[in-house]
Order: sequence, then structure tokens, then C-alpha cells
Amino acid sequence: MNVAVMKTKAEQAISESFEVAAAKLPGSAAVQARRAQAIGAFSGLGLPHRRIEEWKYTDLRANLKEVLPAAVEDKTPLTIAELLVALGPLAHVDAHRIVFVNGHYRAGLSDTSDAAGLMTSTIAKALQSASEEAVARLASTPEGGDAVEALNTAFMTDGAIVEVAKGASVNRPLLMIFVRAGSDANAVTVRNLINAGEGASATIIEADVVLPGAVRDTHLNTLTEVSVGKGATLNHVKVAVDEGKSLHLSNWEVRLAADANYSGFQFSSGLGFARNGINVLFDGEGSKLDLSGAYLARHSEHVDTTLVVDHAVPHCESRELFKGVLDGHGRGVFQGKIIVRPDAQKTDGKQMSQALMLSEDAEFDSKPELEIYADDVVCGHGTTSAELDPDLLFYCRSRGIPEKEARALMIESFIGEALDKVEHEGLREALASYAMQWLGRSRRG
Amino acid sequence: MLEIKNLHVKLEDEDREILKGLSLTVPKGEVHAIMGPNGSGKSTLAYVLAGRDGYEVTDGDILWNGESILEMEPDERAAKGVFLAFQYPMEIPGVAGLTFLRTALNAVRKKRGETELTTPAFLKLAKEKGAKLNIDVEMLKRPVNVGFSGGEKKRSEILQMGLLEPTLCVLDETDSGLDIDALRVVSEGVNALRSPDRAFLVITHYQRLLNYIVPDKVHVLADGRIQKTGGKELALELEKSGYAEYSNKAA
Ligand SMILES: Nc1ncnc2c1ncn2[C@@H]1O[C@H](COP(=O)(O)OP(=O)(O)O)[C@@H](O)[C@H]1O
Ligand SMILES: [Mg+2]
Repeated sequence: MNVAVMKTKAEQAISESFEVAAAKLPGSAAVQARRAQAIGAFSGLGLPHRRIEEWKYTDLRANLKEVLPAAVEDKTPLTIAELLVALGPLAHVDAHRIVFVNGHYRAGLSDTSDAAGLMTSTIAKALQSASEEAVARLASTPEGGDAVEALNTAFMTDGAIVEVAKGASVNRPLLMIFVRAGSDANAVTVRNLINAGEGASATIIEADVVLPGAVRDTHLNTLTEVSVGKGATLNHVKVAVDEGKSLHLSNWEVRLAADANYSGFQFSSGLGFARNGINVLFDGEGSKLDLSGAYLARHSEHVDTTLVVDHAVPHCESRELFKGVLDGHGRGVFQGKIIVRPDAQKTDGKQMSQALMLSEDAEFDSKPELEIYADDVVCGHGTTSAELDPDLLFYCRSRGIPEKEARALMIESFIGEALDKVEHEGLREALASYAMQWLGRSRRG
Repeated sequence: MLEIKNLHVKLEDEDREILKGLSLTVPKGEVHAIMGPNGSGKSTLAYVLAGRDGYEVTDGDILWNGESILEMEPDERAAKGVFLAFQYPMEIPGVAGLTFLRTALNAVRKKRGETELTTPAFLKLAKEKGAKLNIDVEMLKRPVNVGFSGGEKKRSEILQMGLLEPTLCVLDETDSGLDIDALRVVSEGVNALRSPDRAFLVITHYQRLLNYIVPDKVHVLADGRIQKTGGKELALELEKSGYAEYSNKAA
């Protein structure tokens, strides 16, 4: 009997793609060894599919048929003006900027010159000279074997390393821009490391955008590891805006030290097939987590948000609020697990996931889970899915507001509650503008 | 002029006729009151005028300025000057009053071939008209009607009416849930809008409102039809004798 696991064509192609790319991927010998180990781990795991509980609604194996070549290098010409066009409403946010084109750092487009308290460098550079010890930090893959994160380690080309100095309060947000440009459909793999030092405070935005006219059917695999130090405050926002053809695999691995304040927000519209994983570990007492997001999907787009909030220590608070707007055959998936470990007394956790269904063919799957092993805790979760209220629509229309605009107003009001979680006003307005663009409405003057 | 001719209306999902051949004419410049017992079809008439789904007109017609409005969408009717002040105004969480008012006003202006108002011009107008109804900017910044008292909701309906400048104003039990002071403010708001090219249809269950908004005519609606028409003294009669007479007729 043949012991080899049956592999899909795509799984084989991924391994072959690694053979081709390996020599061009950045990294010292220690890094190359780590990459080889990761692709080995992936081979064992294969692409996650619907018979794996956490991937029940999001069958990656069935949806990743064509393997694109890894974007090992990039020379696509791109000007600042083009970058601003690609950014859209976010271009109006006054921010420090670090830019990656097709997964490769572009010094010429970046500007972090006056960012006091903020140190930025790149993964590619760090990998080049990484010792064995450094590899453990730069290319860690969480235990338990996540195939997507293993692929990230194997293929990562670049990304940002961000250090917010101890006690520093950074004046403006840092905008990490990942722009896709050019006409080559390829697979872009990015790794970011963010570390907010003790007592620091900063706002960091990740933006996945596409230059108008650029190829749309790309694959993205992004892993951002975040560590929030004791008493530090980090506002972390991810914006992914596309036009329905791309495959997005995104992961956030967040670790919170004691008395930390972490507010994470994810906005997406037009993602073809997306899995947004967010894992948060409470690693010190007295911390607060506020996770929220809004996603807009239509046609046959698929957006999955899968959270694991791990209350490993007592006296922490977590809040989650995710809102999805689903039109056409769009499908939203929400899986939210709150774990309260035996020691984590006085945990306060609340989770809410809501979908607004704009069409009969849209689908929403929600799976909240509470795993509670402590007795003195307050935890709750809720899920709702509703259509636009016809009485409200009539009320708006009776005031002269045309149907399309009335619907847009209702949709804006639905996601508004989530957007309100974004503290930075300019950023909040930019997100509202993306939503309005999606709704086919112009910016409100 | 509003002309309602032999209007028959049934519920879309139920084989129950609510309006059974209602006819009524309101010339411009006049205020007509419709009074009637609960369940007689007053709100149904108001909704059918504004174009709400869920009702089926099986016979008859509604003409506004000589044009049938039955096939028009609610927003088209609004652009043609039709306005319904709701018996139960809706709450719209997440939409600021100012945003709502501006969206509505500019939509209507656009359809009427007028230029849209700039933000400062709109704000000035909203403040001015709001002040007359004791509605300040803070209240307008709040989500539409959310957490408003009954009186606040009715006042904000009248503000919407004042801003949109309709020519056919239908008020559905605008007096319900109002104390005497609020009733005065609301009535003053309505009276300020009375003009030779506006028609009003004021629906009420009680005579009280008509002391403030004095009608040219009073119609009694019972059993889906206008049972009697008279001057403003008819309202006083009804206050004394009640609707029993008409309900008997209906039975
Ligand atoms: N959407 C509806 N669904 C079910 N019944 C309705 C609906 N609208 C009106 N009705 C019924 O029609 C009748 C007239 O109601 P309505 O027009 O609200 O009366 P009024 O405003 O005079 O009190 C009542 O019996 C009411 O229950
Ligand atoms: Mg009524």
C-alpha cells in the first residue's frame, strides 16, 4: 500500500513552486532551512478543506485550484501619484508611510522620516542576515500547524518590522501599504512584525490595495504578528479593497501583555475569496481587547472571519463586533471562539456578529463558540441576520429619497455602528468612503 | 387639487377590503379633516396616498393636480409634493437627522429641477426651521427619531414637512400623544405652512386638534367610506355624540 497522502494538483504545484522560488527568496542559511521545514509541514497538512472543522465553511482546497508563481522579485514601475490613486480615500489620512509593491519594499515611495518613537525596517533585510536565534523570532509559526501560516513562512518575501519605542506616543498613524501593480498574476506573501513597547501608544494601518488597471486575480498571504507591551495602547486597522477576483489569506497573531489596550479593526470590500484569521492571546492581566470589523461582499465573493480570543489569564476584557453586508451570491462566514482558561477568573467577554442580507441568494454562516473553564466570568455572544426593513425604506422614500439611495443610507447606518469603533476620525471617514464607493455613492461633501 | 375617486383598497396578503369606494376632493388652499373611529381605514388612506407597499387598489383612482399618482413610487410622489406625517414616525439608528434631512431635501430639489443646497446653506435653513419647532442642532445631530419622546417625533415630522415644502400635506393623527404645549407648537408649524397652493388632509380621532388647525371641511370616515361631510362644527357634534351612529350604519 502506498503511504503517501493523495495530493491535489494544487498542493503538488505549491511544492513545485517552492522548488522554483527557493533560491530567490531572501534569507540566510538558517532562514532557508526554516522555509524548507515549513514547506515540509505544509506538504504534510495539505490545503485546509471543509472536513476540517475550522474550515468547514471555507473550503480552501476547493477554491485554490490554480497555483500562481511566487512574486520573488518586483520591478513594476510605480509613482507616488499612482500610489495615491490606488489608495483612494486613505490617501487623505495624514500618516507615516511604508510601501510594499507586490510584496517588496519600495524605499522611494516610503516616508517615515519624522516618525519619532517609531522604528521601521523590513523583513527581507532582517532575513538576509538572520541567525538561528533570529529565525525563531522572525519566522515563528504557531504550534498546532496551520497550513496557511506554514505557507507564509515558506514563501514570505518581505514585510514591515515596526517597533514603537517604550513610552513613545507616535504623533501620526503609520500606514503600511501593500499595493499590487503590474500585469503578472502572481502569489504575494508578506510577513509583518509589530511590537509596541511598554507604555507606548500608536495607530497602525495595513492597507491592501490594487493599482487601477493592474491584474486582479492575484493571491495574497499575509501574516502580521503583533505584540502589545505592558500598559501599551495599539490601534490596529486593516483595510483590504479589491474588485472580486483575488484570493486573500490573512492572519493576525496578537499577544497582549498586562494592562494593554488593543483595538483591532478590519474593513474589506470586494474580496473574491477571503479568510481573515485573528488570534488574540491575553498574556497578562488587566488588558482590554476591542476587535471589530465590517465586510462587504457581493457577486460570488466569500469572506470568512475566524477569531480565537484566548483568555489565558484573569481580569481581562474582550469585545467583538463584526458586521457583514451581503448582496448577490455573496457569502459571509463568521467563526468566533472565546476561550476562558481555568485560571482566567473575572473574564468579561462579549461577541456580536451581524449580517445584513441584501439578496435572497446571499448566505451567512455564523458559528460562535464559548469554551469556558473558569466559573467567575461574564461571557456572551450573539448573532443576527436580517434584511433591510421595508418600513424604514418606505419612510425614507416617502421623504423623496430614491430607492437606491435609501438602501445605501440604511446600509451605511448598519455598518456605522462598527465603523464608530475606529477612533481616528480621518481614518473612520476614509472607511466610510470605501463603503460608499462600494454602494455606488459619491463622497458626501 | 386632490381627487380621490371611488377608491377601493384591500390588503395585499388578505382578502379584506379596507376602503370601500371612498371619494373625496380637497382643493388647493383648503384644509380638510378626516375623522373616524379606530380601525375605520384612516391610516390606510394615508399610506395609499403616500404609496406604501402592502395594499392593493382594486378600483378607483387618486389624482393630484389632475395626474394619477397610483403608479408612482413613493419618492416620485414626494417630488410631486405629496407628504405624509406618520402616525408612528420611524426611528433610523445610525443615520444622523441632519444627514437624513439633507439627503431628502436634495433628492427632492433635484427631482424638482432645483439646485442642491450646499452644506452651509442647508444647515442655516435647518436651524432656522428647527428653531420654530423647538428643535435645536444637537437634536438634529442625533440619529433620526431614536430615543425621541412622542412629542419630539411629531415635531420632527413637521420639520421635515417644512423643509420639503410639499403641496399636499397628509397628517395622520399628528395630535396623538401630544400634550397641550406640544400640540400648540405643532399646530403653529402646520398653520405657518397654510397657503393658497397647498392642500391639507388632517386625520384625527379627536376634535381637539381642530381647535388649533381650523379645517374648511370635516369628513367622517367609517366602514371604508366617507359617511358625512360638513363644516368645522361637525367635529364638535362628533365630539358629543361619538361615532356610534356611523358604526351602526357600518354594521
Ligand atoms: N398592513 C396591515 N396589515 C394588516 N391589517 C391592516 C394593515 N393595515 C391596516 N389593517 C387593518 O385595516 C383596518 C384599518 O386600519 P387603519 O387604516 O390603521 O385604521 P385607522 O387608522 O382608522 O385606525 C384595521 O382593521 C387594521 O387592522
Ligand atoms: Mg391610524
